Amino acid sequence: MKMPKLGPLATYLVRRSLFVLATFLSFLLIIFALPRAIPGNPVATLLAQLFQQAQANPDTIKAVYRKFMEEFGLDKPLHEQLYDFLSRVMVGDLGTSIAFYPRKVADLVASYLPWTLGLLIPATIAAWILGNLLGAWAAYKRKTAVDNVLLPTFLVLSQIPYYWLAMILLYVLAVYSRLFPVAGAYPPTIQPALTAQFVTGVLYHYTLPFLSILVVAIGGWAIGMRVLVIYELRSDYVEYSELLGLDDKKILGYVYKNSVLPQVTGLALSLGTVMGGALITELVFSYPGTGFLLFRALSTLDYPLIQGTFIILVSTLLLANFIVDLLYAWIDPRIRASYVGD
Amino acid sequence: MLRGLYKVLNPELFTIKKLDASVAVLSAIILTGFVGPWIYPVDPRAVVGPLETPPTAAFPLGTDAYGKDILAQLMSGIRGSLQIGVTAAAIALLIGVMVGLVAGYKGRLTESLLMMLTDIVLLLPSILLMILIAAYFKWRDPLLVSIIIGVTSWPWVARAVRSQTLSLKSREFVYLSKMAGYRDLQIVVRDILPNIASYIFMAYVLLMSGAMIAETGLSMIGLGVTQGVTLGSILFWAQVLEAVRRGLWWWFIPPGAVLVALAASLLMLATALDEYFNPRLRGG
Repeated sequence: MKMPKLGPLATYLVRRSLFVLATFLSFLLIIFALPRAIPGNPVATLLAQLFQQAQANPDTIKAVYRKFMEEFGLDKPLHEQLYDFLSRVMVGDLGTSIAFYPRKVADLVASYLPWTLGLLIPATIAAWILGNLLGAWAAYKRKTAVDNVLLPTFLVLSQIPYYWLAMILLYVLAVYSRLFPVAGAYPPTIQPALTAQFVTGVLYHYTLPFLSILVVAIGGWAIGMRVLVIYELRSDYVEYSELLGLDDKKILGYVYKNSVLPQVTGLALSLGTVMGGALITELVFSYPGTGFLLFRALSTLDYPLIQGTFIILVSTLLLANFIVDLLYAWIDPRIRASYVGD
Repeated sequence: MLRGLYKVLNPELFTIKKLDASVAVLSAIILTGFVGPWIYPVDPRAVVGPLETPPTAAFPLGTDAYGKDILAQLMSGIRGSLQIGVTAAAIALLIGVMVGLVAGYKGRLTESLLMMLTDIVLLLPSILLMILIAAYFKWRDPLLVSIIIGVTSWPWVARAVRSQTLSLKSREFVYLSKMAGYRDLQIVVRDILPNIASYIFMAYVLLMSGAMIAETGLSMIGLGVTQGVTLGSILFWAQVLEAVRRGLWWWFIPPGAVLVALAASLLMLATALDEYFNPRLRGG
């Protein structure tokens, strides 16, 4: 049988998806191996504690213990444990939470995830667009007062942890001047429903967490874009177009388009860092997202919930990454052209 | 007209100014951490004054919710964070440079495998990996935290070192050494390493700033050092004990401000070094 011949775009996508899958599998292996490789096996320790409590305590703890025993299966041989673990993850079974027993981990994370994504995605996209525009402007104004003010500002902004800016914004705009609410994602007095009142409440609570991520992320994008545009402005086609007498605006348009391409790749790589920062920012605002849930899980040593939260967060990130890859293949004329030509 | 923009200002001067500013800020912070305790000998762990005092003459940065001195904590925290930054960056640098050198120099299957590993770790967000690993340790001393940060933050160094090694490998002086019969290790150490030394130094500076920010992130989620004070642990307690909502600004602003100043000056230092080593970036 002859293998169907794939175009360059398809080859690229197949290779990328295989790589993303391999990464996901490696991550699952890390999740599986960590508790079992660390001296003293923390999961076994927790299990022993539960077992002791179960001797003295009522049926629920016994039930938690049995469930936990069954899901981790530490008494089975290692390869069986791995097989069980992988086959359960593949069907979306992430086990049962200890702290929120008997709720399933997958359902728990699913109920917190929308708040995180709702914060993360719009803030990242807005920061990317604004950062690129500001960075290009700084590059165009290089060696002028504008750039001498913008560059140091970007440099400092990009180094601020989101959660520290979050603390400052919370203090200045909510605690001190009482312009914004001090905690939560919606007013506690309103029932979550699709009413105008609820939506306004949500947006009102959304402003500060959103700004904390936006302002910091703009700095990083602007720095990257500024360097790219500076390099691009020196390329031959810019000089040639200038000699031809094309107007600056038109040339800048070309320069912008060419410089923004590498920033798309950067978008994929930065998502993880932004997510890490956003999770901690949620803590500052008591925002009911995955970061908040993860903190609960960590402080109660709820290992199934910790593992499950990570599996869902990383799959989301890898998916987002793959979408950015698709986007890149779609907008990069070099990949598109070779695809059409094939 | 666009080209005219580059011809204004003396670029050398700007570089030097950037270097001066970053070195000045860095030295000020390091001095505060190491010499400060001699001038201001207060135990950061002792309860020394009334609870939650705003800055006064007796307590220049006030006290926390237990009555512990915040300036003393800050000095101790600077040392703790720097210690983790220095160690974690060294670990990450060692892994990154080794992986990059071996992959770039050996080529073939070794390169493919190492780069696959690098790309996988690069795609997995380092801060999430750190949280995941740290979650399984009940006690975390500064060395453990440095190792956790170090083993998750090396991939970009490996990539960069590999591509530099690749381009150096095909240069004449490397061919000459090969013809002269030098062993691979000798060639790598004598011909390749010295040529990427400036880059390695820059990478170290950036890794250090990243490690100190990572430490603060780990601390904030409750997985920082369990003994000792770092900038992150001060922020963590401020967060847990609701310093922000209770208006205790002197508790959470100083550690964050010092961290940002440290990280920004290290970044500025790396940028200045970059311009110094790569004159093309300076040029007009």
